[in-house]
Amino acid sequence: MKLNFLNFKTLASIILATGLMTSCSSDDTIIDTDPETETPDTEEPVEQDSRWITIAGAKMGENPGDGNGGTLIYSVTSEDAKDPSVQIDPFNNGFVAPSNRTARLQSSEDGNTIFNISYAGDTGGNYTKYTVDGGGTFTQTGSEISIAPYVGTAPRWIKLFDGDKTGAAVYVDTEHQVDDNGTPDDVTDDTYLYTNSTIGVVTLDLVDSQINNFEEHVLTLSDEESAAGYYISRIDMPTLNAAGNKLYIGARVSKIDPATLENDSDYEILGSKTIVLDYPSLLNPTVITSTIGHGNTNGYRSINAFEYSGSVYQANQGDPEGSYILKINADNTYDDTYDFNLDEALGVTGAYVLAWRPAANGKAVLAYRHEGSEEGVAGAQGFFALVDLNARTAVKIDDIPYDPDFYLFQYQGFVVEGSEIYLTQGAVGENGNIYVVDTETGEVTKGAELINATGSHFIGVF
Amino acid sequence: MKNLITLLLLSTFYTGLSQVQTGTITGSVKDPSGTPMSYANILIEGLNRGVLTNEEGNFNLSNVPFGKHTIVVSFIGYHTRSKTIEVNKEYTDIQVNFTIQENVENLDEVTVNGKTEKTALETKGFSVNSIETKEAGLRSIQTNELLNTTVGVKIRQNGGLGSNVEYSLNGLSGRSVSIFIDGIPISIYGSSFSLNSIPPSMIKNIEVYKGVVPGHLSSDAVGGAINIVLHEGGKNNLNASVSYGSFNTIQTNLNGAYRFSESGFTVKASAFHNYSDNDYKISGRTIVDIAPNGVQTPIVARRFHDAYRSTGGMAQIGYTNVDWADQFLVGFTASDEYKEVQHGTFVTISPYNGRFLESDALLANLTYQKKNLLAKGLDLNITGVYGKRNRVINDTVAQAYTWAGKRLVGFDGEYLDYIWNSQNENGPTLANIERKVASVRSGLSYTVNDHHKVLFNHVYSGVDREDSDEMVSLLENTFQQTSDLYKNIFSLSYELNTFEDKFKLNAFGKHYWQKVLNTKPVFNEDNTAVIDEIYQSDNDYTGYGFAASFIVIPTITLLTSAEKAIRLPSENEVFGDAGDNLLPNLSIKPETSNNLNIGFRLGKFNFNKHAVTLSSNFFARNIENRIGLPANADGLRESDEFIQYTNLENTAESKGIEAEFFYTYDNNLGFNFNVTRMSLTTVNSGVETNVPNVPLFTMNAGLRYTLKDVFQTNSILNLFYNTYYTDEFTFKFAAGTNTTGEEEFLIPEQVSHDFGLSYTFPKKNFVMSFDVKNIFDQATYDNLSVQKPGRAFYLKLNYIINNF
Repeated sequence: MKLNFLNFKTLASIILATGLMTSCSSDDTIIDTDPETETPDTEEPVEQDSRWITIAGAKMGENPGDGNGGTLIYSVTSEDAKDPSVQIDPFNNGFVAPSNRTARLQSSEDGNTIFNISYAGDTGGNYTKYTVDGGGTFTQTGSEISIAPYVGTAPRWIKLFDGDKTGAAVYVDTEHQVDDNGTPDDVTDDTYLYTNSTIGVVTLDLVDSQINNFEEHVLTLSDEESAAGYYISRIDMPTLNAAGNKLYIGARVSKIDPATLENDSDYEILGSKTIVLDYPSLLNPTVITSTIGHGNTNGYRSINAFEYSGSVYQANQGDPEGSYILKINADNTYDDTYDFNLDEALGVTGAYVLAWRPAANGKAVLAYRHEGSEEGVAGAQGFFALVDLNARTAVKIDDIPYDPDFYLFQYQGFVVEGSEIYLTQGAVGENGNIYVVDTETGEVTKGAELINATGSHFIGVF
Repeated sequence: MKNLITLLLLSTFYTGLSQVQTGTITGSVKDPSGTPMSYANILIEGLNRGVLTNEEGNFNLSNVPFGKHTIVVSFIGYHTRSKTIEVNKEYTDIQVNFTIQENVENLDEVTVNGKTEKTALETKGFSVNSIETKEAGLRSIQTNELLNTTVGVKIRQNGGLGSNVEYSLNGLSGRSVSIFIDGIPISIYGSSFSLNSIPPSMIKNIEVYKGVVPGHLSSDAVGGAINIVLHEGGKNNLNASVSYGSFNTIQTNLNGAYRFSESGFTVKASAFHNYSDNDYKISGRTIVDIAPNGVQTPIVARRFHDAYRSTGGMAQIGYTNVDWADQFLVGFTASDEYKEVQHGTFVTISPYNGRFLESDALLANLTYQKKNLLAKGLDLNITGVYGKRNRVINDTVAQAYTWAGKRLVGFDGEYLDYIWNSQNENGPTLANIERKVASVRSGLSYTVNDHHKVLFNHVYSGVDREDSDEMVSLLENTFQQTSDLYKNIFSLSYELNTFEDKFKLNAFGKHYWQKVLNTKPVFNEDNTAVIDEIYQSDNDYTGYGFAASFIVIPTITLLTSAEKAIRLPSENEVFGDAGDNLLPNLSIKPETSNNLNIGFRLGKFNFNKHAVTLSSNFFARNIENRIGLPANADGLRESDEFIQYTNLENTAESKGIEAEFFYTYDNNLGFNFNVTRMSLTTVNSGVETNVPNVPLFTMNAGLRYTLKDVFQTNSILNLFYNTYYTDEFTFKFAAGTNTTGEEEFLIPEQVSHDFGLSYTFPKKNFVMSFDVKNIFDQATYDNLSVQKPGRAFYLKLNYIINNF
């Protein structure tokens, strides 16, 4: 029973309606902001070279560029996305993805479905999928399920590249182990042993919306490393190997001071590490270490590792020598002969990979910042580069306009269509454009204009 | 005394008037038994003229201009009477006699004083509300519910009885609002002796200061202060009550005081016990049962792990109303609380079953009050509290449950245990937080004469905190940094009262001084012992403000107040937190807020038996130097970089209006209505955004009707009806013009209705009350997705003896 005698909106609507009726003039026109849904008849049944391009924008919370005000998505056809005369305004016409903090979105390979697992809040951990119907219309399909009981309400998840069948989410919890030397009340003879990292991995059937598998394991680094206080503190970015029988999970290694168990800073960074599990059983965890790169492999908001030509290529972050692209061979070990340093390739210092995506030809678009980046309103300025995984080259894409407020830390999505890669460009609070990079030729095409909102920014295409 | 001065002033004034076309009104005032009523107020309405009756109950008003006049007689504790007469050429000498009847409802002296005090307090210039507890104390109403009906105040509670509460004054909440018990910060007492547990019948009244806080309540809060004034001792009384109702809720309370009239020796004690299962029904998008494969079915669930118990009391002995002290009392406060936690900040699909909080406090207290100490007009008052309080957070159960109240079966058909081994995702904890607390409030005031008064106040509060967690190693516990916080706030106020009591001014300056000691344990050089490295941060700052009121005519009072208020940085903000990658920032500045209130109060207008009061206040708050993390904090944290709290360039602004309306008819019928409408925005890099998750529009209305001699002669039946309205508001930032999917983050518009009745038996010793809350069983929410209790019934019995 809903007793609402104080419904001001109704009252206001009545007054407004009355006002309109009495003062209506004939030149009132309704501006159609959503042409796609207006003309369903003209849509081709299956258009071979058209794909929905879903643009995502992160609205500001309290500070410009913080992206904490919610994630809005809006879809156009790839023709429209490439047409610079088209204007897209996701902040006014978009769909608000149901996530308390910035949503981590994934799209199906054909672009017709958007997958979301909401991050934090009351629905944190809920998996939902939407059919892309163009414009701000996203229709929820399938039953809602939650992975929260397995990996918590703030899960780090990614869609595996297995034909949109599976999603994987991970969780880690750490516990420091101390030997109290039989004297539980005397702290002076206590010694730190090592830190355990309990990892949980859940796989999710994206088609039938159900839990496939879940395993938890306790991991400890090598005796020497763990005794010195190193441990796996965060894991993310599960990626399938080419054979589809191993799952790689990116890891971040932190360190505590063994004397006081307080967080250490300014310590020697270990070789980049990845956890390898059997797939689909999620059993037999091992940790592999690179001798080339020294940094974390857990990425941030966008996919950090991709399979190409039988191997998995993985970016690292926080490497003292600048980010590397690392290679994991088909035998599930790091290829220590593959040395691709972005500082060297780009001619900068302190390169930091924020997001990247290769096309099937081994050429990729990569978002990065470096020590020379200007400090914009929301952080260090970002850039895009064209990368060739085989030639180990990276070139800054100069045909895209850059601005000190061009901020890519939260950047999530690229769309690969053949050898073309779509991306969004736009400084915080400023209008931008979709750009399409032809990875073969390096040619950059300016696409649809993106209408921004104050303090907001675009975080990619899906 | 004041009345006498008024009388003198008035008579001087009147004799000076010219004597054309005027008449004289004389008369007498008696009570029903014929006893003359001396010092009753006689007022000619609309003329701003009045006198008091003399010892014989007679009065004389001369020089009354020709025309129709309404003569109103009033006397504290009696019904107001009025008569309309006409002075003209034929009737220049008129006699009017009044018989006034005792107002049975206001028999209790405390209420009478309270009423006059309430009006006096509310017309000093501050934006303040004085909430009386007398009526509510007899009903099954909690202190928080009482506060929530007050204009400009919004209470947001995360569930039923005993659950976490946030107080908002004109839109500012959290650390912006300070709460006191008799001027002592409530944080000293801890959660077991809080507004959740203290029953209204222990409270004399509650003062709510919005934006501008007088010197004697100084605290570094930018939004305002709530002061709970407990009953004073010195009067013999005993009152006991028990209430039982829905969700197995029982609330009992015992208050008593006894004063030996010869020696002045006084004993004062009060105790309370509250218990509730809080097993009310909830539903919604996250209230589901979960099948092993993860498929969810919406259900209506009963909360099953939400019980709350609090027990506490206060006892004091000493002397009251003796030569050397108006009050000298020493005693202790003890309280104990147990609270099960059903869910975290949000209601997710995973209810907690096994997490609970315990807290207790044992504090010694001392009160000394003396008026005219050493010299006439010199008043001293000291209140001190010292003791210890503990809090335990217990969360060690790994088993996952569903809202059906059963264990969750995982995808493999086995019962699921959470990988984090506890109900909360942050991992198991058996945290024990011990605090040694002390607070002393002292005030010295000197009344120079009727016009000038100077007040000096000082509040000290200190918290020495010790944390340990049995779930982590001693080594880790040992090297936890701890922070102790000591605050001293000095204030100097000057009160001016001039233009025949029409203009009142209170100007004050406050000096805040905060010391934070950060203790960082380290091993000594040869690792044989742990020694403490201590870092200290001293912060001091000065704020100032004023409150003024001006009585234009007796029924129109203008009020204004302004303050430059301060919020000192917290220990975390100064010293950071190594575990959270937060660096210290020893040079951080306090937040400041410029607060302004401009209001008026109209009334009381009396016509026949009708009485109307209307008051309104416009408020503006502007917070600068806000303390927060930099815009790119998330990103920096993600890449393991260290961050620190800084003073942000962005400001926050709150603006709004609140209004209150009271109507009474012949003391039988009372109606009140209040409304608050405001905006709260932040401005960052020139961009203005609405702050989300703040209710911006609220209204409350209440109706009371009194019937006498129902069932039994000399009995009183009071009927109450209350309704509360909160406009819809969004948990997230406002979106664009044509977006979809927003409904996920809306806290819907809410209207709820309560009904109650209380029956006072003829001997006035027994009062029985019955309350129905949320009559229409509506789903109400203060916070996103956290549903509050539905329809509930309560029955309460009160036993009262006064003046034995």
